[in-house]
Amino acid sequence: MNFFKVIRWMVWKDLVSEIRNRENISSMFFFAFAVILIFSFSFSMDARSSRELMPGIIWVAFGFTGIIGLGKSFLPEVQNDCMEYLQMAPVSKGAIYLGKFAGNVLFLLAVEIILFPLFILFFNLDVLDKLPMVLLIFLLATIGLSALGTLFSALTVQIRAREVMFPILLLPLAVPVFIGAVESTRGALNGDPLALYGHWLELLAIFDMIFMIVAFWLFEFILDE
Amino acid sequence: MIASIFIAKLRKYQNGFALLSLLFLSAGLYTGLVVSPPDYYQGEVVRIMYIHVPFAEAAMAAYTVLFAGSLWYLWKREPVIDNMCHAAAGIGILFTSVALITGSIWAKPTWNTWWTWDPRLVSFAILLLILIGYLMLRSFLDDPEKEARYSAVLVIIGFVDLPIVHFSVEWWRTLHQPLSISTRGVSIASSMLYPLSFMSIGLYLLLAYLIMVRTQMLYLEHLLEAKQGRLLSEVHSS
Repeated sequence: MNFFKVIRWMVWKDLVSEIRNRENISSMFFFAFAVILIFSFSFSMDARSSRELMPGIIWVAFGFTGIIGLGKSFLPEVQNDCMEYLQMAPVSKGAIYLGKFAGNVLFLLAVEIILFPLFILFFNLDVLDKLPMVLLIFLLATIGLSALGTLFSALTVQIRAREVMFPILLLPLAVPVFIGAVESTRGALNGDPLALYGHWLELLAIFDMIFMIVAFWLFEFILDE
Repeated sequence: MIASIFIAKLRKYQNGFALLSLLFLSAGLYTGLVVSPPDYYQGEVVRIMYIHVPFAEAAMAAYTVLFAGSLWYLWKREPVIDNMCHAAAGIGILFTSVALITGSIWAKPTWNTWWTWDPRLVSFAILLLILIGYLMLRSFLDDPEKEARYSAVLVIIGFVDLPIVHFSVEWWRTLHQPLSISTRGVSIASSMLYPLSFMSIGLYLLLAYLIMVRTQMLYLEHLLEAKQGRLLSEVHSS
């Protein structure tokens, strides 16, 4: 099977199973919903402090949601003994990684897009004209989180204490993604000119590229038996 | 066979490293604590630098050894190299912690804060977290071969990530708050240069010695485990 066909089949398989049981997206969504509720109780905000805190709140919520979703991305393969078949399949291991990664980006981005109106609702944001830029930031940061998260999910899925190990490995290494995402979201929500925060988008894009390439190469060693 | 040659080499040279390190460290401590004068601005506090800087350098050296060893392991799959990585990680945690703690003690009287969002501080904190995550990951994996392979992957990811962490924090800081800290000293006086370089060389040698000893310990432990396993299976089959 050729490379891109493998990627397409991996994404299609994950999408179909997600549409049938809706486990991943719904658990991510309701978890994030709870986080947003807690935040809106914890901070009573006026317009000014909301501008200060909003980007941080958004990315703490999305980061935790990502941990819930990404950490489980290889779990169905292990539960159904499919890991061995993926290892034995005569296809490029990198393509398997990219397929899983693309599926994760889709799921996480979908959850973020569903959740964003809730932020607008609870925190009274005024963002309609800034939506395209915010979506671009979401996309770039989600790619970075998923590039690392997909690799670490494969790394931790077969070990004891999987739920603990996954965030312990992912969070320190994702520091640049969080800094870049928070700073660029702040710029976009404030309506600053792009020149003031454009370099954060560049940082996110560079991070995405580096870790997609490195993880693509290293994934072979994880699935190798 | 490579393993036994490697271990024999370690055993042959380790005492030399220990002796030299002892020599350099005592020279460094003597010149640093007794001979060299207190700093004009920092006073006696500057002497912490003779411990702090060499430990930080050696911690980075430990991570470099870990990275090189991990690449080597993924390439050749030699278990003894994995033992070396395991050893370097544990000692790396020790050196990184000492560097962070002494840095904090130095920063309190000098910058009047225990902690600040300096790129080097953050990178070292992340380095410590990666190393701890590395040892935790190892302890949760049961199959030794898989343990070696997975942890090598983690080390390579971390090695690529650390410079990006450093740059992103640097950007973030310069945009958010004015630089409250200027890097210390315009140029280093020779009275400070001697203790610093003695301590640096001494700690590099100490690092090498500790890794050598620990590698042998881990190698023997794994050998023992394998032999016990073989004995047990013999008992069961008879």
